[in-house]
Amino acid sequence: MHVLLCEDDDLIASGIAAGLIAQGLVVDRVATASAARAMLQAARFDVMILDLGLPDEDGLKLLRRLRQQGETLPVLVLTARDAVTDRVEGLQAGADDYLLKPFDLRELAARLHTLLRRVAGRAVNVIEHGPLRYDPSRCQASLAGQAVDLSRREQALLQALLQNPGRVLSSEQLKDCVYGFGDEVESNALNVHIHHLRRKLGNGIVETVRGLGYRLGPAQAPGAPAP
Amino acid sequence: MSLRLRLSLILGSAFIVIWALAAAWMLRDLRQQMMFSLDQRLVASARMVAGLVDQLPQPLSARDEHAHFSADQLSVPDGMACQVSSLRGEILASNHAHDGTMDTRRSGFLDQVIDGVSWRTFSYEHGDVRITTADRHEEREALNRSILLAASAPVLMALLGSLGLLWVGLGKGLAPLHHMRDALRRRRADSVEPLQVAGLPSELQPLLETQNQLFRRIAQTLERERRLTDDAAHELRSPLTAVKTHLQVARMTEGAVREQALAHAEEGADRLHRTLEQLLLLARVEGSLSFDDGVQCSAAQVVRQAVQDAGGDPRRIQLRLPEEAAQVYLSMPAPLAVAALRNLLDNALRHAGSESPVELALQVSDDRAAFVVRDQGPGIAPEDLEHLTERFWRHGQSGGCGLGLAIVQAIAQRCAAQLEFDSRDDGLRVRLDIPARLG
Repeated sequence: MHVLLCEDDDLIASGIAAGLIAQGLVVDRVATASAARAMLQAARFDVMILDLGLPDEDGLKLLRRLRQQGETLPVLVLTARDAVTDRVEGLQAGADDYLLKPFDLRELAARLHTLLRRVAGRAVNVIEHGPLRYDPSRCQASLAGQAVDLSRREQALLQALLQNPGRVLSSEQLKDCVYGFGDEVESNALNVHIHHLRRKLGNGIVETVRGLGYRLGPAQAPGAPAP
Repeated sequence: MSLRLRLSLILGSAFIVIWALAAAWMLRDLRQQMMFSLDQRLVASARMVAGLVDQLPQPLSARDEHAHFSADQLSVPDGMACQVSSLRGEILASNHAHDGTMDTRRSGFLDQVIDGVSWRTFSYEHGDVRITTADRHEEREALNRSILLAASAPVLMALLGSLGLLWVGLGKGLAPLHHMRDALRRRRADSVEPLQVAGLPSELQPLLETQNQLFRRIAQTLERERRLTDDAAHELRSPLTAVKTHLQVARMTEGAVREQALAHAEEGADRLHRTLEQLLLLARVEGSLSFDDGVQCSAAQVVRQAVQDAGGDPRRIQLRLPEEAAQVYLSMPAPLAVAALRNLLDNALRHAGSESPVELALQVSDDRAAFVVRDQGPGIAPEDLEHLTERFWRHGQSGGCGLGLAIVQAIAQRCAAQLEFDSRDDGLRVRLDIPARLG
């Protein structure tokens, strides 16, 4: 899951980023509203964490503007102000969730997963795809009941594919899901992760659409006969 | 007691007293006039009888001694007695049968009792006869009473009518007060909305306006307090969030990342500590606790302590102290002077950029000492100058907790010092002018 974190307090932002990365999320950090807008233009994100007290523009104003421009990205608002009116205002401005500082990092990650699940229209967090089960909030994958060990990047790649079944994703889009904006990406890194996924979940899990990109294919335990 | 009842009682009793006095006066006059008219009637009747006597063909004295005239013959009014007697006292004629005799020896009016009945008599000598006319007092009084009754009934009615009108009129006149009372009664106890009452008279308008001004001020104060608490919550929760988040990261990670997270958590704890200290200091400065520990501190000592306490590199602070700095004693408790100066230096070091120097000068005059802190930062926009001393107002990404200058301002107010800002292109000058004496 690719998260855009918009928080001006450097100390808090570094803590959230480190905590979310440790829980298997991909995080990009910005400190101003203008930087947030630029980032949203430049890359694809799954969810945005927005602090309301930004130095250059009020967070709610930014949110309202984004919603007016048709931005549907789920947004979780973070704030240290707990007045009910603040909360109502936040939700009216287009926030999807609201978390009061100080919070628990695991709760934050769980809420982000829930937001994403809600956007995908699923009632439970676990994604099932044939014999494959994947729980994004726990970062656990299993194939026909057998736990499969996936690296952080592989998980992000799998989640991106599972969340867009049937859709062709370009390698750029996949890179956005797997890497943060500042991450150093080697040219064949994505291919390496795809190769690993195929090895662990069966060759068919990632289908190559020549000239366009990749698509989610059927999951299949290694050694099982091809359908 | 309601205002209406009170006014009605006061005005009503005044009405009654005045009307009663006027009525008493009028009735006394009326009675006098009445008595005078009745007396005149006695006189007129006597003269008329005298005229009749003159017209008699023979003098009365020659006639039968006990001749009696009827009232008709003498044509005097009913109820009036008339007697004609000789100058010697013999009764020549009378229209009234009675046993006693009238005392007729004196001329003019006389009150006398004859046979137990009180009379008013008038005697009049005419030629060789004396004519006496008389009224019963009882009849005079009865006549008088009926006239008094006739005259006082309208007065009484008018008085009652006035009192009624007074009650109704006061009710109408005081109606705006009732509207205001009802409007106040309808408010919730914690409401600070302005009061809306239509059609108030000009005497009550200022009351309403003052009231509404007060409500507005209270609303503003409440709003400011709410914002302050909100800001304080924000300032305390932010570092707390940093601490908590980094501690959780430390638990999830290992090695260098973990060490980094712990260092960050400590940084957050330091920030929380600083904010708490500043908040407590501000509360103490604004409170009534005494800071005076009796120790006299010279300006030079205050400067030394403040430079030591200020965050950042003390080598960036350039001191310009006059020689007498060690002999100038500030009339401000030393802890407050140090805190104020430290906050000014802290601010300057923070805003001037990490390299540029900060200048601290002391200017001494007869009874004042002024610290001037000058930085070489970008200065402050004119529209922001007024916000500088607001609590929790922060300029950009300064990293302070937004309380430093608010504390300096509070200290200045407490100790009759003056805080002035002068922002120019080459930096911000802050001047803290404190009452002092040369020791």
